[in-house]
Amino acid sequence: MRRFALTATIDEFEFFLQKEWSDGLPVVTPTEPRVQVMLKATPRDPEEVIGVIPPAGEVATVRSVAIHALMAGCRPEYLPVVLGGLELILREELNMGGVQCTMHGVAPLMIVNGPYAEKIGIHGGNGCFGPGFRANAGIGRAIRLMLLNLGGGIAGLASATVFASPIRYTACLTEHMAQSPWESLAVSRGYAAAQNVITCAMVESPRLHFDDVSTEPQRLLRGIGDAMTAPGSWNMWFNSDVMVAMSPQHAKLCAQAGMSRMDVQHRLCELAVRTQKNLKRGGNWRAERALAMGIDPDDDAALIKAVKDPDRLHLIVAGGLGPVTAVCHGWNESSHYVHGEYAV
Amino acid sequence: MTDTMATGALPFIDPTAGGSRLRLALAPRPMDLAGKVVGLLDNTKEQADVILETVADILKSDYGVADVIIRRKEHYSKPASAELISELADKVQVAAAALGG
Repeated sequence: MRRFALTATIDEFEFFLQKEWSDGLPVVTPTEPRVQVMLKATPRDPEEVIGVIPPAGEVATVRSVAIHALMAGCRPEYLPVVLGGLELILREELNMGGVQCTMHGVAPLMIVNGPYAEKIGIHGGNGCFGPGFRANAGIGRAIRLMLLNLGGGIAGLASATVFASPIRYTACLTEHMAQSPWESLAVSRGYAAAQNVITCAMVESPRLHFDDVSTEPQRLLRGIGDAMTAPGSWNMWFNSDVMVAMSPQHAKLCAQAGMSRMDVQHRLCELAVRTQKNLKRGGNWRAERALAMGIDPDDDAALIKAVKDPDRLHLIVAGGLGPVTAVCHGWNESSHYVHGEYAV
Repeated sequence: MTDTMATGALPFIDPTAGGSRLRLALAPRPMDLAGKVVGLLDNTKEQADVILETVADILKSDYGVADVIIRRKEHYSKPASAELISELADKVQVAAAALGG
């Protein structure tokens, strides 16, 4: 590990920006004493390899993860989540390497469930996509800094991203369990409430769907379903992940009508459809893409689903009080969401 | 900037230095394609096959290419397999990663 020293004329913050060891914002300068404090947050060997970050292929160790967590502004107690998150993100089925290079702008969104998220202050309430919440901001930023510094996923270099997106600064939140009428996403997948679990899916920045009109679920969910079917989004033509974060108000409207989380998840998948005729008007419809989905390109009445597999709709309850649901569209079929327990 | 720069009060760490980086020399660039075997790697995007077959015909008719080998990746968002890269490296003198869209 190379070490540098500062002269009186070098500003440490400017130096890290000039070296492009940053996301464009100043980082906490990694010094050995600071890294040692960060490493005390985990019993793991600093030299333990967490994985290889594509496409540059630099090896991430517990120590290099700690360095980036520090740079991102994490408190030491966030380190287990960063370590667990990176291990998940590097699983082959999520295809981080593809996302590092794609024209798209998706990012690996981390939904952190369980008591440790609450203990360290990961936020799921009002404003949870940020800014303003150190755990959300720092954990997601640590992941991004590693994708840049160790993976080389830098726009104009390895990354061909056209726009990127704000979600590439940070993408980490939890659910608003105190106001949720349902079990958590992790519990819905079979984990115990006491387990600390991360779910990770490649998604775009949230698109906000306001509905301060509906008084029953059918109208509410039809509108959210429409928001999930934006022409030009890839999940119309590929079997990809979609994340829907209902505000507590919207979730409770469904729960009070007797709908479970699973009921809403399946109903949204039924409602999030457009006819092929509608999708032909613009966007990324192609005969080849219809054929690849087993749909006759000439069948204008065919219904194209935004979510091909209900298991890939990640429904969470998050955000503050108000009549809003956030919809995050997905990427393509080469990526499949991942989830797993992490050690604290 | 190197680790021999003037010392100061606050040493800090290069976060990118993991020591696993390989430096590879670029393959020599041929001055022409006459008599050579050219590999074209189809990235699986729509119509890449049509485009590449057309390019292959032109390479042979207009540039004297001896043969063109077209191979297809598993998916455009995934890297080519090691076996595929190795096969092309063994069989061709010039390879192009090519895409449709």
